[in-house]
Parts: sequence; structure tokens; C-alpha cells
Amino acid sequence: MAHIHLEDGSFSLFWVLAWWIIALCFIGVALVLLRSKYKPEPKMITIAAFVTAAAFAIFQIQIPIAGGVHVSLTPLIAILTGPVIGTLVILIVNILSAAIGHGGWGLVGANVLVNFSEVLVAWLVFKAMKKITKDLFSRAGVATFTGLLAGNLVMIAVILVSGIQGVNQTTAQILTGLSLIAAINMGVAVIEAFLTGLIVAYIGRIRPDILNGDRK
Amino acid sequence: MSIVEERKGLIIFGAILIIVLIVALAAYQMTGTMGIEDRYTTALGLPPGEEEGGETFFGFSAEGDPVLYVIVLGILIVGCYAAYRHFRI
Repeated sequence: MAHIHLEDGSFSLFWVLAWWIIALCFIGVALVLLRSKYKPEPKMITIAAFVTAAAFAIFQIQIPIAGGVHVSLTPLIAILTGPVIGTLVILIVNILSAAIGHGGWGLVGANVLVNFSEVLVAWLVFKAMKKITKDLFSRAGVATFTGLLAGNLVMIAVILVSGIQGVNQTTAQILTGLSLIAAINMGVAVIEAFLTGLIVAYIGRIRPDILNGDRK
Repeated sequence: MSIVEERKGLIIFGAILIIVLIVALAAYQMTGTMGIEDRYTTALGLPPGEEEGGETFFGFSAEGDPVLYVIVLGILIVGCYAAYRHFRI
């Protein structure tokens, strides 16, 4: 998964505000869509609550692989709730994470954008894969890989554009370092792809009606 | 329908999996064992932060304040239960 693990003060105030404003624009669009075009069914509120709790719970747990990594469940959020409700879910998860000391408050806006890219790409790929295969496990697995790759690319872009205060690294050095982080993150995506694939395949067997990404 | 056609999804998934594992293992060889924050500080050239010596459970640990984590998670679980009672699934 991708998440900018930096403390407050890493980005200048300008970039903290810039990423927050862009994130708030996405959230505003999601809220407008929810009030007009995509009014959620009551059961979707329950599903959103469940994925928020699950994502928060798993997001904070460091898995002892390669020194410590964690999964995010953003592709699962996308498949179960879609990108509109998913945007609100990742905002809540990021705010609650910052509230307990996982990531800086100033980086919530940037992290919402990183996670939003994961949700959007995973949802689009999950839907697009339906033309290739009906197998839910592989559709969810591929959606997870592509979603998390998108998140890592956005994470690198956000950091490169913002710059980090108080460091003397060149852009090339930072890009190299962040690329290695992204590669390790993608290794963790293997665990997340299997996890998401198995959960989605199971839900598809017992309750296919609650897979948002499977609707027309 | 041929087996390839039938298993197209799994073949794509497997191909991506192999590429991702090779790239991730190569990156791990270059960086070695490191915590998440350490990876960032090293990559960006930031001064090393303080070591977080929190308790672990078979190597698993919670990021941030564990007490707040339990409290927030408890509130979320209560919220889920209330939503389930009210809206069902």
C-alpha cells in the first residue's frame, strides 16, 4: 500500500494547503454526487461502516515482513463501496490514523489523494476485467495490484512536487529512494491481492449483490 | 472454450504476481530489513527519527498510540453494530 509516512513539517505550508484543497475538492464532488446521482441504499451505509472499521484496524498493524509493512484494503473498499463512498471512507480512515499518531495531520490531504487514486484505479480495473474474465478472485487481485501501483506512483509524484523541507537530496536521489519504497510496497501488494481476492470471491459466492464494482 | 481462455484472469494475475515479486525482492536486496519510517528517512535523506520501541505481538505491532487505537476501533465497532441494526445489509 502507499501512504506518505512523514511527520508534520516535512512539506511546506503551501503544499500542505494545496494537497488539502485538492483533496477537499474530490470530497466535495463525492458529497454532491451522493446527494444527487448516487444516493446510497441504506445497506451501503452499513457496508461503508464495516469497511471503514476494517481498513482502520488493519491500516495500523505493522506486519513483520522486510522490517515492517502494512496493508490498506483500499482496493477492497473500492470494490465493495465504489469510488464515491470510497472517497469518504479513506478520508475518515486517514483522519482517524492521524488522530492516533500514524502520519502527520498536514499530510492527510496528500494521503487522501494517494488513497483516492488506489480506490479509483482498483474500481475501474475490477469493472474492466469483467470483459476478460468472470473469475472474481483474479479480477480483484489484478485490481489490487494496479490500484496499489497507482497509489505508489501518486505518492512519488506528490513528494517530488512538494519537496521535503530540510533535505539536500537531489530529485534523482529522492526518486531512486522512493522507487525502492514503491517496489517494496508492491511486494506487500501480493499479500493484499490474495487477501482482497479471497474476500471478494467469498462475498461473490454468498452475497454477490453487495459487490458495488460488479454493478452496471 | 480452451483452458487458456477459461483461466485468462488467473494467468494475468499470475504474470503480474511474478513480475511484482521479482521487483520487490530486488528492491529488498538493495535496502535490507528496515521499518517503514526508516525507509522514508533513508530515501529522503532525513535525519533518523527516534526508535519506536513499542510492544509487539509475534512481531506485529500497532502504529501510533495503541491505547487510542483500541478506543477508536471500539467506537468504530459500536458504530458498525448500530448501522447493522438500523440498516441491515
